[in-house]
Amino acid sequence: MFTLAYPSTPEEAVDRLARAAPGETAVLGGGTDLLLDVESGRTTPTELLSLRKLPWRYLRWERQSLVVGSTLPLRALEVDPKVRTQLPGLWEAIVDVGSPALRSRATLGGNIGRCSPVSDLLPILLALDAQVRIVGPNGRREVPVDAILQESRRTTLGSADLVEAVVVPAAAPCTYLWQRVQPVNDISQVGVATAYAPTPPHWRIAVGGIQPRARRLVEAEGLLRSARPSDFEAELAAQEAARRSTFVTDRRATESYRRRLVSVLVRRAIQRTLARVPPVAGGPSSSP
Amino acid sequence: MTDRPLKLVLNGTPRTFEEVPDAERLLDTIRWRAGLKGTKEGCRTGDCGACTVLVNGDPSLSCLTLAREVDGDAVTTVEGVTRETVGRAVVKAFEENGAVQCGYCTPGFVVALSGLLAGRSPPPSTEALLDGLEGNLCRCTGYAAIQRAVAAAREAVR
Repeated sequence: MFTLAYPSTPEEAVDRLARAAPGETAVLGGGTDLLLDVESGRTTPTELLSLRKLPWRYLRWERQSLVVGSTLPLRALEVDPKVRTQLPGLWEAIVDVGSPALRSRATLGGNIGRCSPVSDLLPILLALDAQVRIVGPNGRREVPVDAILQESRRTTLGSADLVEAVVVPAAAPCTYLWQRVQPVNDISQVGVATAYAPTPPHWRIAVGGIQPRARRLVEAEGLLRSARPSDFEAELAAQEAARRSTFVTDRRATESYRRRLVSVLVRRAIQRTLARVPPVAGGPSSSP
Repeated sequence: MTDRPLKLVLNGTPRTFEEVPDAERLLDTIRWRAGLKGTKEGCRTGDCGACTVLVNGDPSLSCLTLAREVDGDAVTTVEGVTRETVGRAVVKAFEENGAVQCGYCTPGFVVALSGLLAGRSPPPSTEALLDGLEGNLCRCTGYAAIQRAVAAAREAVR
């Protein structure tokens, strides 16, 4: 069994991680994923380093961005009225994670650190081009989320790096759509996120529920050249998205079903995001 | 092992627990140290909601929460929830609508629903309340009676 460590400053936390032997210490955010792995013996740390005492439980609206402290429970984002209107796709992804009681513990930082291929949050963070503020032995730095994700439970973060905050645009028309066997309390077979930016290239598309990690669909994005693609252009991008992705068959869905789902969900997500773009491009969205 | 005693404000009363292992789940502290057996262990993997308690007023899964992670926090179980007006109204609505069969999931539903209703005036819509209960599983009732009970509880507290 493990013991808990409660560093009271980020520097103390990083220092403790830097001195730990490989695999000895695991970082504890909300614990909703890590504790399952610990209970089942998939991972056997002797120490969990809790982030509870660090001052990272915040949500801050800045002029251009929303900064989310890495230990803020998802529930706080869910009940924030501005998140729902300014970043509708982020809100959709959050409320699709587990249940309210799970979301009162689960965190954005944990989703990034654990890098689960079935995370409902990673596709929308990729589509929003989220920047991750990291604190490590060499100080602080900011890295795009795309550069951090590797595969299940593996990231490019160093063993003494901690996710301090996640930065997303303060407002963006965006959408998250998924397909599941059961609508709630289930893992998505695939999840698709799209986000629109007023300046070219306007569109970012990402897919999750695939191996080894959620990823951007740059080939499909490349087919969306205009700010307001037609239904036909959206369909072509959706087909490209399905063609360029690699899917697996597992107990949740077959390879061919996932491919079909991606083409349908990408088209719908583009259309829904388009409906959320304000008539005069460039302004923040307050539509559906 | 953390030597400090674990402190919780459990159902409104400050409590101190000695020699709590770091790996102990809040669920086990509640059931075995505090002896409050209303909180149920269902799946122990965060899927069923039977272990739901309120932590500082928010519904939380006590099976996926280390007790030490809520040190100093207010933890309210079904025993505490049903002492309050809202919790009593929820229990009455469940009883009157036949929303209880084997009863194992019921404390989780009562806590989660009370947490969604408490201090909210006007109460959330019935649809929003049902969405809020999506993490609570019931294998007996088929949910129809629970849906009626949720609507009735909402009417009772508005």
